[in-house]
Amino acid sequence: MSALPSIVFGMLLVTIFLLGVVTLRLASRARIQQEAIEQLNEALRHSQEYAEQQKTKLALRSDLDTVKDEFISTVSHELRTPLTSIRGALGLLSAGMMGNMDPKAQNLLRIASSNTERLIRLINDILDLERMDSGRAPLKLRRCSVQELAREAVDTMTPMADGANIHLELQCLAPRDSIYFDADADRILQVITNLLSNAIKFSPPSSTVAVQIDSDVNSVLLKVVDHGRGIPLDKLEAVFDRFQQVESADASKKGGTGLGLAICRSIIQQHGGAIWAQPNQSGPGTTLWVQLSRSARATDTPTPAHIAPPAERGEGLILVCDDDPGIRVVVAEQLRQHGYDILEAGSGEEVISIAGRHSANARKNGNSTPISAILLDLYMPGLSGWETLQRLKETPITAGIPVVILSVIPPTDRVQGAGEPEGWVQKPFNENLLLAELGRVLRAKGSPGQILLVEQDQELAQVIRAGFQNAGVRMDHVSTLQQAVDRCLLGRPDLVILELTLPDGDGFSLIDWLRRQPGLQTLPLVVYSSREVTEAEMAKLRLGQAQFFSKAKVKPLEVEELVLAMVSRLRNSTPASVA
Amino acid sequence: MRLILIIDDEDDIREVAALSLEATAGWEIITACSGADGIHAAANPQRKPHAILMDVMMPGMDGPTTFRKMQQNPDTAGIPVLLLTAKVQGVDQRRFADLGVAGVLFKPFDPLTLATEISSVLGWND
Repeated sequence: MSALPSIVFGMLLVTIFLLGVVTLRLASRARIQQEAIEQLNEALRHSQEYAEQQKTKLALRSDLDTVKDEFISTVSHELRTPLTSIRGALGLLSAGMMGNMDPKAQNLLRIASSNTERLIRLINDILDLERMDSGRAPLKLRRCSVQELAREAVDTMTPMADGANIHLELQCLAPRDSIYFDADADRILQVITNLLSNAIKFSPPSSTVAVQIDSDVNSVLLKVVDHGRGIPLDKLEAVFDRFQQVESADASKKGGTGLGLAICRSIIQQHGGAIWAQPNQSGPGTTLWVQLSRSARATDTPTPAHIAPPAERGEGLILVCDDDPGIRVVVAEQLRQHGYDILEAGSGEEVISIAGRHSANARKNGNSTPISAILLDLYMPGLSGWETLQRLKETPITAGIPVVILSVIPPTDRVQGAGEPEGWVQKPFNENLLLAELGRVLRAKGSPGQILLVEQDQELAQVIRAGFQNAGVRMDHVSTLQQAVDRCLLGRPDLVILELTLPDGDGFSLIDWLRRQPGLQTLPLVVYSSREVTEAEMAKLRLGQAQFFSKAKVKPLEVEELVLAMVSRLRNSTPASVA
Repeated sequence: MRLILIIDDEDDIREVAALSLEATAGWEIITACSGADGIHAAANPQRKPHAILMDVMMPGMDGPTTFRKMQQNPDTAGIPVLLLTAKVQGVDQRRFADLGVAGVLFKPFDPLTLATEISSVLGWND
């Protein structure tokens, strides 16, 4: 009898307890839901605020652009008006139109007159450069003949050349009648006349300045060759910077503004091409090279000057092979300056014999340094780069040496089945790209993959990073567009995970930039974004191998699995094979 | 002998341009310092200019407005007008050319070649 009430009591207790638990659970679930709603509201508010800020920023920027436009237009007018009077008065006086003057006075007038001309050129150049760099001078692309442009430039500059007793020559090295390419004709003409004017200024009397034209399937190559005093090796890049002349007295002696080559570079970059200077292979003087794609994809704004890749130091023995001794010397010198030891080869045959001998010696006894990497040109007389690569990879003792192709053709145009190079640098290259790619190839020998995560949300980045850490894959994280560019220039990552919405721009501009970098064109890409990507945008985003995931639909863990699969495929192949 | 009318609000530029054309081409020059004065001078039947060289930016009536007024006036409509501008922006150049002027010349001009430039734009061979 006494058992029943106690059972009832016990059941009651249990029921009360369970009810309590359920109530607590419900309460805590309600709280969690409440919190989640609050968080969502908060996030929504943030994103609305962010959108508002962006809208204000954009409006402000367009206002600023208008103000700047007006300012430039006004400055241009206000400076030109007094200069018109000065130039007119001095011009008439120094030409003796107002009667003859004594020689000393004449000389003073000549000085005033020539410096007025210089000031006018300077104002024109500054305005020109300003308009281009701000993207307010869009290109008017049309089909042009490179021969016609070069002929026109030579005709324009002939009076100046005659005055300096310099012979101008136009040489076409391509076997075609006319080479057509897409460009803004006036701008390209400006570049060629500018290069010719420089060449004439720095050439000794009775020498020749030549314009050489060459082309292949994809690009047009234009060279201006002089036999002047030449540019020192350490100034080869600096001459393209604003107000950089080889000697400080050049500005006044030669009447230049110090902006000519900076303008040329802006124009060529805007065309998606490249411009660089090189010492002549034989004898004194300089060759200015311009490389333009035959079907130009004009960029809205030239690459900002501040995106200059920092150089990296390396070590190891590098075999440099190019049939052009000029290129060999420049590459060897650049690499030596950064700590590498250099062997040179002038042909594919030489590469095979040197690489074979070195590897055999290194194996037999330890006192011969093995070759760390081979830099290989593709177009060579005799054994071509492709054949050389194939033989190196087929020979067991040389198969393990990484090969970096140095060629005017892009990695996407490689010959199938000729063996896979470990790296690729497209000519024309700059020193830092070459060093970065070589460094990457040397580091990649047996090292795990490296992933670059571009993500502005720090917490999400932490989650993704933790996942990869567990898988033993190295990952770098950056949160802005600029950091991503800087990081890519330091060394080519194996893969990029990209959020499209970034604080300083959108992911599309990063991809645009990557596409223009010879060593980064084929970088595999995983877009993992909060933004939905349309079909049209996907086509625009496709870069090497690309995958698209929406953050709304795909969890970080799933992305991680996919990326790891991609990385393991990459490890088993070579970077150049992911195109 | 050619008679040229120069319209510019800047005294110095008027004087330099006049001296330049007189000294290099031997042309006779009359000047005006505003659009309104220019129209008045151009409409004088005794001294009708062969060509007008006119500044674009002038206080009051600017160059393009003055040109349009001249076009509407039968006394001045046939006179070729060259605009002289210190603006180098492509948009400005096209805008001026669209007006129907005989030509556009740029400041700062070269005083030694100004006359030959005008002659070549107008197709004068003398």
